[in-house]
Amino acid sequence: MKPRVLIVDDSLTVRMDLKESFEAAGFDTITCGTVAAARAACHDGAFDLAILDVLLPDGDGLELLQLIKSTPATASRPVLLLSTEAEVRDRVRGLQTGADDYVGKPYDSVQVVARARELVQRGRTGPREHPLILIIDDSPTFAGEIRSVVAAEGHETAVAGTGEEGLRLASDLRPDIIIVDQMLPGIDGLEVIRRLRADAALRRTPCLLLTASDKPDDELRALEAGADIFAQKHTAPSVLLTKLAALLRAPRPDTAALPSLLAPKRILAVDDSATFLNELCDQLRAEGYDAVAARSGPEAIELLGSQPVDGILLDLVMPGMSGQDTCRRIKAEPAWRDIPLIILTSLDEATAMVEGINAGADDYIAKSGEFEILKARLRAQLRRRQFEDENRDVREQLHRREMEAVEMQALRDLSETRASLIADLERKNTELAQANSALVAAKEATELANRELESFSYSVSHDLRAPLRAIDGFSQLALSKAGDTLDPTVRRHLDRVREATQRMGQLIDDMLSLARVTRQEIRREQVNLSAEAHAIINQLRSAPPGDRAVEVRIGDNLVVTGDRGLLRILLENFLNNAWKFTSKVAQPVIVFDRLPEPADGAVVYYVRDNGAGFDMKYAAKLFGVFQRMHSVEEFPGTGVGLATVSRVIQRHHGRVWAESTVGQGATFFFTLGHS
Amino acid sequence: MRPKTILLVEDNPDDRELALTAFATCNIVNDVTIAIDGVEALDYLFCSGIHTGRDPRALPAIVLLDLKLPRVDGLEVLRRIRADARTRLLPVVVLTSSREEQDLLRAYGLGANSYIRKPVNYEQFIQAVRQLGLYWLVMNEVPPIAVPGV
Repeated sequence: MKPRVLIVDDSLTVRMDLKESFEAAGFDTITCGTVAAARAACHDGAFDLAILDVLLPDGDGLELLQLIKSTPATASRPVLLLSTEAEVRDRVRGLQTGADDYVGKPYDSVQVVARARELVQRGRTGPREHPLILIIDDSPTFAGEIRSVVAAEGHETAVAGTGEEGLRLASDLRPDIIIVDQMLPGIDGLEVIRRLRADAALRRTPCLLLTASDKPDDELRALEAGADIFAQKHTAPSVLLTKLAALLRAPRPDTAALPSLLAPKRILAVDDSATFLNELCDQLRAEGYDAVAARSGPEAIELLGSQPVDGILLDLVMPGMSGQDTCRRIKAEPAWRDIPLIILTSLDEATAMVEGINAGADDYIAKSGEFEILKARLRAQLRRRQFEDENRDVREQLHRREMEAVEMQALRDLSETRASLIADLERKNTELAQANSALVAAKEATELANRELESFSYSVSHDLRAPLRAIDGFSQLALSKAGDTLDPTVRRHLDRVREATQRMGQLIDDMLSLARVTRQEIRREQVNLSAEAHAIINQLRSAPPGDRAVEVRIGDNLVVTGDRGLLRILLENFLNNAWKFTSKVAQPVIVFDRLPEPADGAVVYYVRDNGAGFDMKYAAKLFGVFQRMHSVEEFPGTGVGLATVSRVIQRHHGRVWAESTVGQGATFFFTLGHS
Repeated sequence: MRPKTILLVEDNPDDRELALTAFATCNIVNDVTIAIDGVEALDYLFCSGIHTGRDPRALPAIVLLDLKLPRVDGLEVLRRIRADARTRLLPVVVLTSSREEQDLLRAYGLGANSYIRKPVNYEQFIQAVRQLGLYWLVMNEVPPIAVPGV
């Protein structure tokens, strides 16, 4: 469906001109000459865009604008004001009332159509359904022929009669292919292609150059200018179509978002001289620019606040705010800073130029009646601006891609790290679960073993001793009843039976003690080892035969934290041993004390005697069960004592070790981890 | 008046004979009543079972009680003695092989008057019996019989 444009203007000439231009560009039109007629049309709401003159015979275009913008059904319709402006203030007022754009009269119809199309298409995206082919040819006949050939293929077409119009249409429509005749009035086909190639948005549009000539030089020149394909005018339509199809197949990057250099530009001209300003604006409009005239610096700044422009021409010498000051103000505003600004000056003085440039102007030019240089400089500044935008775009894209690549890499690294962490975690969890169940099983096994050990100990304690008591008791009874009558050998045998029985009893007691030390619960408290040692020594001194003269030295206040019962067993074993193994020396000495220096942060206690000692060769066996260093005849014992000591130390997280020389005594060292 | 009887609760015949011999050695002349397990001990004390008809007021001077017994064990016997008003003040000496701390604590906890571990050495045993007899049968003043509620 064609977009419909509502045209409101009191001038019949303007209405007819716009109607023709819009219909040629593929629009439907409604034209109104009065506010009253326009109101009726607005009421219908059957339009996609309104173009309003401001001064109308029966009212004000701004009223219509307000009506359109305040009626919900039409509020979203774009409105373009088209008016002869007495002052910049009129333009600003229109834009502030809600106009989407403002083009000054006298207007360039191509520019008005382009602006209108831009407003209608704003927000509409997506690729074209059919390829659009722009034909630039001054011969309507020939253009019509090509048009019918490509239209038969289902392509859409647009036609321009001159190179300038073709360029504007190209920028406006962004065609898929441009077919351009080499021979054109004004700029020729080669120049059209050159200008297309100089435009960032259009330079990739495929161009087919048509020529009447078949000279090889022409083809070379065409290709050098940037044409993709060269075809002669008399080429058969089927060949032309094949060439077009080939061009259409080639992929093209999307440049739709880029602004085109050839798109209509709005130029703000600022000068206090009305004569010069009018002349300048006329010249600019003749070039297709929308020229906005401002008579002073403040007016220019007011305009910039409501409508963006593409370039600024600024007189240097003005009453009130000077050109330099205006320039400085404009360049200080971030949104306007990048707008190309050319200083105009009638003073051909170096200082004035320097002042202008210092104020931030991009270029300067001497005022004169010759406008060609001015226009060329303006074009150059606009192109520079576009290339800057393009470069910035390219840089931003590169930067974005770089960032994306870095982010992707980071994401990949992150997910890999995460995956490996999770795998690690899962493995550790599995291991933990296995270790846990192993631990639970071990704990159960330990508990079972402990229960078994307990009942075993209980049985041993009760049942194993009963027969021993009977053996000993009845042997003793036999000896006391019939001792005198017995053969001495028999008496000796009975004595041996009783001795064995005692040893067996002692063995059972020691084994039970060892078992108890292993499984008994630890109760920690402050224990004074010195006091315990004194008590044990007193017992030993009073035990039969009670005539041993042993020198005992016990360190004062050896206080530790530990289980009193177990520590008592520990000291009993050490001191009993020392007592026992010093029984054959002349001047027995037993020492219990602590070393002056701790080892590995723990206090080291020791029990030293000057008794029989042992061979260090067997030191490793010392703390095993049933390991004895001496025969029973030499020194009585069961070989369980030091194993019990070792368990007690173990249960206190300490260490025990010994040093000895045979015949010179032994020293037992120990630490208690938690003391 | 005849000295009161000693109730010896002991399942092991060897230990019984050694104990009786030890009493004789130590000149303890009291009658000794034997119970070979916990049930017999309780029957004697509470005049039930094989001791039905016995005068319940005739309590022994002392009960020598082994812990590990068939049927009803020594700790249970002790518990019932202490739970009954007639016997709750009766002197009970635990005489056992066990030196397990838990046995000792439980026996005292249930109200044993003394706890003696039978030594393997018979001479030491005789020594223990001598002191036991001297203390519990000669020195010790027993409370008056059967004072319910005291």
